[in-house]
Amino acid sequence: MNVASRRQAAPGFWLVAPLLAVMALGFNLPLVLMLGKSVVGESGFTLQHFVEIFQVPAYLKVLFNTFRIALITAVCCVLLGYPLAYWLRRLPSRWQLLALAAVVIPFWVSILVRTYAWIVVLGNAGMVNRSLLGFGWIDSPIAFLYNELGVVIGTINVLLPFLVLPLFAAMLKIDERLLRAAETLGASNWTAFWRIFFPLSLPALAAGAILVFILTLGFFITPAILGGGRVPMVANMLDLLVNHLPNWELASTISTVLLGVTLVLFVMYLRLTTRKEEA
Amino acid sequence: MTVPTGRGTLAAPASTGEALARLHRWLVAGAAVGVLAFLCLPVLIVIPMSFSNSNSLRFPPEGFSMRWYVQVFTDERWLLAMRTSLLLAALSSTLALVLGSFAAYGITRGRFPGKQLLQSNFISPLIIPSVVIAVALYFALAKVGLLGSFAGLLLGHTLLGVPYVVLIMGVAIRSFDIRIEQVAFTLGASWFTMFRRVLVPNLLPSTAAAWIFAFVTSFDEVVITTFVAGTHETVPKRMFNDLVLQVNPSITAIATLLIAVSVGLMALAAGLVQRGRRRLGTPPVN
Repeated sequence: MNVASRRQAAPGFWLVAPLLAVMALGFNLPLVLMLGKSVVGESGFTLQHFVEIFQVPAYLKVLFNTFRIALITAVCCVLLGYPLAYWLRRLPSRWQLLALAAVVIPFWVSILVRTYAWIVVLGNAGMVNRSLLGFGWIDSPIAFLYNELGVVIGTINVLLPFLVLPLFAAMLKIDERLLRAAETLGASNWTAFWRIFFPLSLPALAAGAILVFILTLGFFITPAILGGGRVPMVANMLDLLVNHLPNWELASTISTVLLGVTLVLFVMYLRLTTRKEEA
Repeated sequence: MTVPTGRGTLAAPASTGEALARLHRWLVAGAAVGVLAFLCLPVLIVIPMSFSNSNSLRFPPEGFSMRWYVQVFTDERWLLAMRTSLLLAALSSTLALVLGSFAAYGITRGRFPGKQLLQSNFISPLIIPSVVIAVALYFALAKVGLLGSFAGLLLGHTLLGVPYVVLIMGVAIRSFDIRIEQVAFTLGASWFTMFRRVLVPNLLPSTAAAWIFAFVTSFDEVVITTFVAGTHETVPKRMFNDLVLQVNPSITAIATLLIAVSVGLMALAAGLVQRGRRRLGTPPVN
């Protein structure tokens, strides 16, 4: 083996080099240039663009709005995803496979298509409004679309599998014997769940919530379509600043802020998921 | 957590505690089924709507027709967009597969410093919001005069495919028995012969799965395309632009076609990943 590997001299680095070259020129360099643009003004280094973001109410409002929508989405995904993952875990295996398919298949469909579908479902002549009108529960259609409600519904629908699938995998790893032990010691199901099962599933739940939060921060398609221009989020503002009223310095700065926040949160996410592996 | 009472024998619960537990179980099951319906609803509604015969987006559709499909397939612009989408997805996924597979091999088997850092760099397009990548690419491509070029678009799509290839091929190579490679070397094979005649045939299911992931990612991409494509039009880009302006029922037919392509290919990829694992024995803990 030694002879062979010495003769062949495993061409390790040289195999990585082509991709590294493409990524360095086509990905890392553009990102660095963007970071540079955000801190360079007419007279060299400046932080004026960052100050500007936090002084102009319009930008601040969009940033705040994005964080708020991301928070609402993450909380809703936790509330909807936890019972689903918990229920999936206890299903007989054949039903479990079927239910998992129902989570995974929508996950495969593009965000654009799933967002579009909500126009069909929630529009004024859509299924939901027609049913509600038909039952006589409402007199005029409810405005689900082109407001924040529509954006939040669409975003939750797209991102829920990102929370449910890892949470389900983490729940499968929880030792069932712990629960039986608690029961033997006289704990009710309720107590066993809240004192044992829930704390053990908490790291995966928190990790999933952070992931959903991060992904919502950069959402572009869903707010553009279901918000109808009335629910601007950071990504849509970037589109505006780059493609419509060119202000590249400001776009770079906002993009840099988004990148920074994403990376910080992602490090938190990694901490949570790796600690879970060790436990 | 309750003691099984035996199906249909004793309906009366043994205690109020058990009755409460049963109530909780039913509540959880009800909530879970509701959430599942919420997840699947949009996709399930779009498909029948695409066969509607009416101009409105009413559900349920009043009658069956293929008119929206006919309209899509006789529209020169949609046909051109389909051609661009397919070409772009095929080229970018192939580029990502070739570059990413070699890199995955180098990272898995090679001995040099900084491997972890390289791996993180290659996977980062998966984590960084695509709008950030789009903005950065926009400025960089504008600087070198490639904004709106097919080459620039191809670069963007390739970047997005790379993480999937590096992850899938990394797992596949790690779980492939290194001794088989060593035997090939001992028998006098060069590295490239070993790669071509030993590694590729054995890792074929994973390779195909990695290619499909990259293909579907490119085929469904909207954000980077919207920023850097210029006048090039892909199917999702046109669909997105049409949707922002007005909703047209032929979009439903396009949506159904996109569902068919993604679900069909992804199911194939999932099957291939399973097959690859079975062929290679136990999957490594990842």
